[in-house]
Amino acid sequence: MTSLHQDIRPVLARGVRLRNDPITGEPVLLFPEGVLPLDETTCAIVSRCNGDCTVEAIIVALAEEYEVEPDTVRQDVSECLGQLRQRMLVALVK
Amino acid sequence: MNYRPYLLLAELTYSCPLHCPYCSNSVVYPSGQELSTAEWGRVFAEAAQLGVLHAGFSGGEPLRRADLAELVAAARAAGLYTNLITSALGLSRRRAAELRQAGLDSIQISFQADEELLGDRIAGTAAHAKKLDAARLVRELGFPLTVNVVLHRGNIGRLEQIIALAEDLEAERLELANAQYYGWAFANRAVLLPTRRQIARAVGAVGVHKERLAGQMEILFVTPDYYSDRPKPCMNGWATRFLTVNPVGDVLPCPTASAIKGLRFDNVRTRSLAWIWGQSEAFNRFRGTEWMPAPCSECPQREIDFGGCRCQAALLTGDARATDPACALSPHREKLTSFVESIQTDEGVEPSFEAEVGRLSFRQNPAATIPKKNLPNPGIR
Repeated sequence: MTSLHQDIRPVLARGVRLRNDPITGEPVLLFPEGVLPLDETTCAIVSRCNGDCTVEAIIVALAEEYEVEPDTVRQDVSECLGQLRQRMLVALVK
Repeated sequence: MNYRPYLLLAELTYSCPLHCPYCSNSVVYPSGQELSTAEWGRVFAEAAQLGVLHAGFSGGEPLRRADLAELVAAARAAGLYTNLITSALGLSRRRAAELRQAGLDSIQISFQADEELLGDRIAGTAAHAKKLDAARLVRELGFPLTVNVVLHRGNIGRLEQIIALAEDLEAERLELANAQYYGWAFANRAVLLPTRRQIARAVGAVGVHKERLAGQMEILFVTPDYYSDRPKPCMNGWATRFLTVNPVGDVLPCPTASAIKGLRFDNVRTRSLAWIWGQSEAFNRFRGTEWMPAPCSECPQREIDFGGCRCQAALLTGDARATDPACALSPHREKLTSFVESIQTDEGVEPSFEAEVGRLSFRQNPAATIPKKNLPNPGIR
């Protein structure tokens, strides 16, 4: 993905569920064809894909959480959302 | 290493209205009674305790089980994600609503082709029109939809049309699954395996549409390993994250493991799933790398591809421990390549499928009496 409009509100795609793995306590995404364990950053992004937060709001929240400038996380968030979108795990709603 | 299953394939029944000549079911069915509703309920609970998070409901045709909605509800109650893998024959409005109510998460519908004539010929029954109706119903009820099309010589030339169909049905995912040559597909591989040229064209078409449809529909395409130099990391290694429970309760490390002669499977009626996963002979036979003979045992790739597929090694070499002949380093490589070369056509000559349909063995249900002469010969040419 080259650019994500900042007024877009990501949401988990149809049939995708976020839950904690009862064995490890770590977050996983469950989707029609499988299971995707999430690393900390991806989880921080995915857990905000609720249809309320804009991409910009997610960037700001992550920057606060990791105590860095928003520009530091901007590209990572865009790339991560782009990949999740390609796999139909996240939908981007205007 | 700590092994833990994430995915369960629940094969509910061998009964199926379709007769696809590439069915991955074993050509010889195991004997025994199908598991009851209560027995499946116990399997789902035990699976969840072991770490399973995701259950695929398959068969045969899972809709042939009148208690399917109950089974879905039991799996959901155990905390599992539930995906129905179906031909869609029998997916009436009433049953689809029942499944929705039971908490079914998603539906995968198989199509044999993009159009009725070819589709019905491959399915061995009038199926295509019913599938279209069912797919639209799935959309209407709000389920996520995966369209699965098994690719072979007879339909791989119609990829453009197949992609257009999945788009038209508004599927989230399109699995373009090249036939895997086990079970019935192995018996029919001389008619089913696409030519090298067909594969190359398909790869090109998929690339273009994948990009075009990004964010709208995910296209999954895997090249058949008969055309690769490196074997696939089958199941991510034997018995590491996946288990199959078949209709009569046998537990297998992969759905086609019964292709391995002499491998004995334990049954959920006599053993707990945890014991079978941890202790049974079948699950431990090819775990890790200790069992590997050369060249796998000295190969730097051994933790990456695990020597390929045990079932394929057994089918092609007669020895399940052997290096998968899909690997260029296999001492038995020639058994694969001589077959692959035998089906290629000259430049400009399209491979014929129509003329060879009569040579296909179509899948039979276990109840049907199969005259011995019609049994496919699984021997190696």
